[in-house]
Amino acid sequence: MNPGERDAEHLELIIGRVLRLGTATSSTCFAAGLSLMILGRGGALARVLLPVGLVILLATPAARVIVSVVEYVRERDWLFVALTLAVLLGLAASVWAAFL
Amino acid sequence: MPPLTVSLALIIFAAGVVAGGLGIALGLGGGILLVPFLTLGLGFPLKSAAAISLTTVIATSSAVAAARAGNQLMNLRLGMLLEVATVAGGLLGGITAQMVAESTLQRIFGFVAIVVAVMTLRRVNRRNVICDPNADPGRLGGRFYDAESSCVITYRVRRLPLALFASFVAGNLSSLLGIGGGVIKVPILNAWCGVPMRAAAATSALMIGVTATGGAIIYYGRGDLQALFAAPAVLGVQLGSWAGLNVAEHASVKWLKILMAAVLITVAGLMFTRSTGS
Repeated sequence: MNPGERDAEHLELIIGRVLRLGTATSSTCFAAGLSLMILGRGGALARVLLPVGLVILLATPAARVIVSVVEYVRERDWLFVALTLAVLLGLAASVWAAFL
Repeated sequence: MPPLTVSLALIIFAAGVVAGGLGIALGLGGGILLVPFLTLGLGFPLKSAAAISLTTVIATSSAVAAARAGNQLMNLRLGMLLEVATVAGGLLGGITAQMVAESTLQRIFGFVAIVVAVMTLRRVNRRNVICDPNADPGRLGGRFYDAESSCVITYRVRRLPLALFASFVAGNLSSLLGIGGGVIKVPILNAWCGVPMRAAAATSALMIGVTATGGAIIYYGRGDLQALFAAPAVLGVQLGSWAGLNVAEHASVKWLKILMAAVLITVAGLMFTRSTGS
């Protein structure tokens, strides 16, 4: 295994951790919010939990991209720093297109 | 859009289980089944159905990629490079979806459903693999251990502009229709760009999360995405995918594929009928 491949494996493991944390958190929020609604307690808490779960779900892939930028900076792989930033810029443009 | 009720949330959950299970068993995303169920079955506008479906695409992508991390199947560099194209396509698709008529979206969905049906019936052969652990994968290629042939497979990426173009189209259709887009990227990466089937599928599964996020953010901001509908769909698809992974080994994939193609062609027919009628 050459150094490049070791770096890739390292990044893969970090990405795996970020994605697992994100999915687990958003699914927990969804499950808790829906259970409250089904039990007839769809009050303020459920109305907060569901959108929070959704925002965490949407933020998870973005977090994966941010972690990748950091890693490529650490590896001094400037081409991929630029490409990863371009992906982030695309996501930022979506936020801009959504709310403006 | 139908009113927000608990029983509707439960129906969406059940639909998610079926779509997720069939999707994973056939190597397709659940979106191609979930979107027509939500729009033809429950009366959601296609935009809202696509938005709900995109959230399930994101959840599936994150869960699958997390499970695969560490086995080198995902090609992170190739994925990131192609994501530049998919995100651009997704952004454009999300904006276009706000402007085109419902009937146009239905026609595009019908057309894509037929393409997916044909793709499902055709078997994509694996090729272009070098069974040599010392071969040079180049800057974008990759290397992984393949248990099936018990050797280390090395591959190089060829025809990069084609891969970028396919990714752009996949990203565009993804946010326009609420599908993952893997059904467009994976066969092209495999057949023309030298990426082995399993690496293409794993890389695509990782990519579609970011692609779908761009589209979903636009729908969310424009009020087409409600958390009460997204939550049961996401949980249902996750449960269905988990079950599907365990059932897929025992089920007859050949008949599942034929059934799936029949369903998709029916969906296409209904979409075309809707787009011209009323």
